[in-house]
Amino acid sequence: MRNKSLLVAQREYVENLRTKMFWVGILFFPIMIVLAIVIPRWLEGRKDVRRYAVLDRSGFLLQRVEERAAMPDLQKVFREAIQRYVQKAESFDEFPASVRQVAVPIGDTLIEEAGDEKLLDLMEKREFKDGLQWLASNVSGEPGSDLQKTLAQPMFAEAAKEMEAQREEIRQWWKLLPPKEARDYGSDLSKARYQRIDVAAAGEVTEETLDRQIAADQLFAYIVVPEDPVKGEQRFKYVSRNLTDEDLREWFGRYANDELRDKRLQQESIDKATADWIQKPVDFEKKQVSKAGKQEEVAKEDIALKWAPVVGVYLLWIAVFSISQMLLTNTVEEKSNRILEVLLSSVSPLQLMSGKIIGIAWSGLTMVCSWVLSFVALVNFMPALMGMNLEVNLLKVASDPRLITSFIVYFLLGYLFFSAFLVGIGSVCNSVKEASNLMMPVSILLMLPILAMIPVGQDPNGALAKFLSYIPPFTPFVMMNRAGGPPSLAEYVVTSILLVVTIVLLFWAAAKVFRIGILMTGKPPTPLEMLRWIKAPIGQVPARKQE
Amino acid sequence: MDYSLTLDGVTKRFGSVLAVDHIAMAIPRGTIYGFLGPNGAGKTTTIRMIMSIFYPDEGQIRILGEENAEAVKDRLGYLPEEKGLYKKMKAGEILAYFGRLKGMDGRTAKNRAAELLERHGLGEWQDRRCEALSKGMGQKVQILGTLIHDPELVILDEPFSGLDPVNVELMRDVILEMKRDGRTVIFSTHIMQQAEQLCDAILLVNKGKKIIDGPLAMVKAAGGRAVMLDYDGDGSILRGLPGVARLNDSGKQAEMTLLEGADPQEVLERLVGKLTIRRFDVREASLHEIFVKAVGGKADA
Repeated sequence: MRNKSLLVAQREYVENLRTKMFWVGILFFPIMIVLAIVIPRWLEGRKDVRRYAVLDRSGFLLQRVEERAAMPDLQKVFREAIQRYVQKAESFDEFPASVRQVAVPIGDTLIEEAGDEKLLDLMEKREFKDGLQWLASNVSGEPGSDLQKTLAQPMFAEAAKEMEAQREEIRQWWKLLPPKEARDYGSDLSKARYQRIDVAAAGEVTEETLDRQIAADQLFAYIVVPEDPVKGEQRFKYVSRNLTDEDLREWFGRYANDELRDKRLQQESIDKATADWIQKPVDFEKKQVSKAGKQEEVAKEDIALKWAPVVGVYLLWIAVFSISQMLLTNTVEEKSNRILEVLLSSVSPLQLMSGKIIGIAWSGLTMVCSWVLSFVALVNFMPALMGMNLEVNLLKVASDPRLITSFIVYFLLGYLFFSAFLVGIGSVCNSVKEASNLMMPVSILLMLPILAMIPVGQDPNGALAKFLSYIPPFTPFVMMNRAGGPPSLAEYVVTSILLVVTIVLLFWAAAKVFRIGILMTGKPPTPLEMLRWIKAPIGQVPARKQE
Repeated sequence: MDYSLTLDGVTKRFGSVLAVDHIAMAIPRGTIYGFLGPNGAGKTTTIRMIMSIFYPDEGQIRILGEENAEAVKDRLGYLPEEKGLYKKMKAGEILAYFGRLKGMDGRTAKNRAAELLERHGLGEWQDRRCEALSKGMGQKVQILGTLIHDPELVILDEPFSGLDPVNVELMRDVILEMKRDGRTVIFSTHIMQQAEQLCDAILLVNKGKKIIDGPLAMVKAAGGRAVMLDYDGDGSILRGLPGVARLNDSGKQAEMTLLEGADPQEVLERLVGKLTIRRFDVREASLHEIFVKAVGGKADA
């Protein structure tokens, strides 16, 4: 008897493996992740170089802004060079010899100081960042951090000598580097984004000529710096046709502000350090308390772990929704194919129903497990393939058993809960269109956990989260949502029992509807009518009103 | 006597509608049994009760010695009126699947499916999806699906409806072959002619009630005599002939049920010279006429 359900399930599973939709479902997740990583990077590379001009009436501000703006760029370039060197990437050779000679001694010391794992951690350290700043200031001319302190580090002592020899060369390279090529030496360089057209060299340039260039799309924008910006009485002018992209103005304004602030401090003989101190914002140190009651550092992974369940809920929801939908369309299709009664000569309605539900559960589990596997695989291999570093150790998130177990178990329970509804609805409908009308209340029921996702994620052990956990249709999603909390064992047990009992009851009701529904033709019944079917003893068919 | 199936006082209500009203029948093993009646007579409901798809409100069913068809499903073949195939499955696969659902093991089912398809000229379609089959071929596959597991008792609900002439022949041959193999065949139909050609015994129902049942020869013998006339000309003369109880005129052919004791020769004499007579045949009344008479001339079958 049970064997026949399994036969039905097996057929259902094999059939599903053959549909395109199933493979779309399998591939959806890895493709989504890859796209989420690749597309922004690709778009970044596609961004047009913004050509802009500056009419500097002050005579000094433009140069200072450029020196300041070069600082973060150059730090990124040196960091990239050192990183490629320690990771032994072939692309290290793309850097000019002058840059490489400075990067090599630093990279070598890094490798000496750390085993493979800690390399990236070392590069996050204050000393290293100071060193980068010092390297950058050598090239840009903008004064960097304390020279002596930096050079006291053995890591940079060697590099300092190289820098002495190569400084002019690097400066020259940087100055002549075209924006389109700058992209290859670091991500998100402002040099690659904004290209200043030198208008001063062309003699007397008026705003009118620049206006014409903007109208002809030769120029993205131009900025007019007033004669005495330090005084601050006259306004700067920003002229462009594009009113939505403010990046250029903000970027230029940021460095102009910094420069003017320093100039004003100097003018008023205020010590820069004092001014910085006065403006110093409150700095919070984030700690968490472990179960044992001890204070611990908050790692980025811990925050990711708290929010990973929210992503999990979303995926869970997509999985439950699409797989239950599959059950619905399969049932409706079988009904409209008129194959159901043929099957009923061999299997009982209950066997048929359970077989279908089991078969689609296998399909769903295959899909969900493939998602988990591809996530783990992507986290493991993607950074290496893409040549990038993840800020957060996602592997720790990916391998958290609570998340993965919750995901798979709650997928199964959630699917079973909704499958009872959908198989019942599917059995009474002759077309998907009819079914979608009856689906409405179920869809609304499914929406709520999505709406509650963020509030529950913020307070996983709060009253709302706890309350929703005990409502069976929401249990799988909300408990998944709370996995970061995490809920107590008692909560897991009680909510699961509640959910399983509800599922059993629903299956009993669905079986009764299914039994009558699959043989019914014509208008689908109202929910009230189906309720009467559920109440009637097995084998009895209550009259329909219109009959 | 050894009965494959007995029904005793079987009754089924759908709410206030009495679909099947105290039906009784006993079907000896190895016979072809016709279950006749107009649409809506309760044939399908009765068959569904036999198959344990519905349960009767009253009465008993015994099928192959069991109370419940669930217990003997693997020995039954059932072809419902509403039938179809999985479009995406291959013809061989779906036959094998039907076989496996009837308890055959995978290999046997597969071999038997291939053999059946080959024997019925569908060998090359074995690996083609059902959606590629023509309607006639699909019907063949459905018929074969009923037979794959060598059933003892085969129940066919309106097996001829919607079949093309070639498949009507196939269906007929299949039914006769099953009888030769000692199987019991029950089929329902609303077309009396088919039953007349095939059945050993029949049950006539109307509005859920039994009208007549018994061996075909007995039913026919009790039905009286009739004249079957093939003619050309104005058929209005046929109306109101003395000695004729009922006329069923189709324009080129007419059946006239005779009153008891009426002389067919008199009828013939009245027609000579008025019509061009191609055939004048005196014989037992057709099932159709028997049925119409039994329900008082009101049936629409």
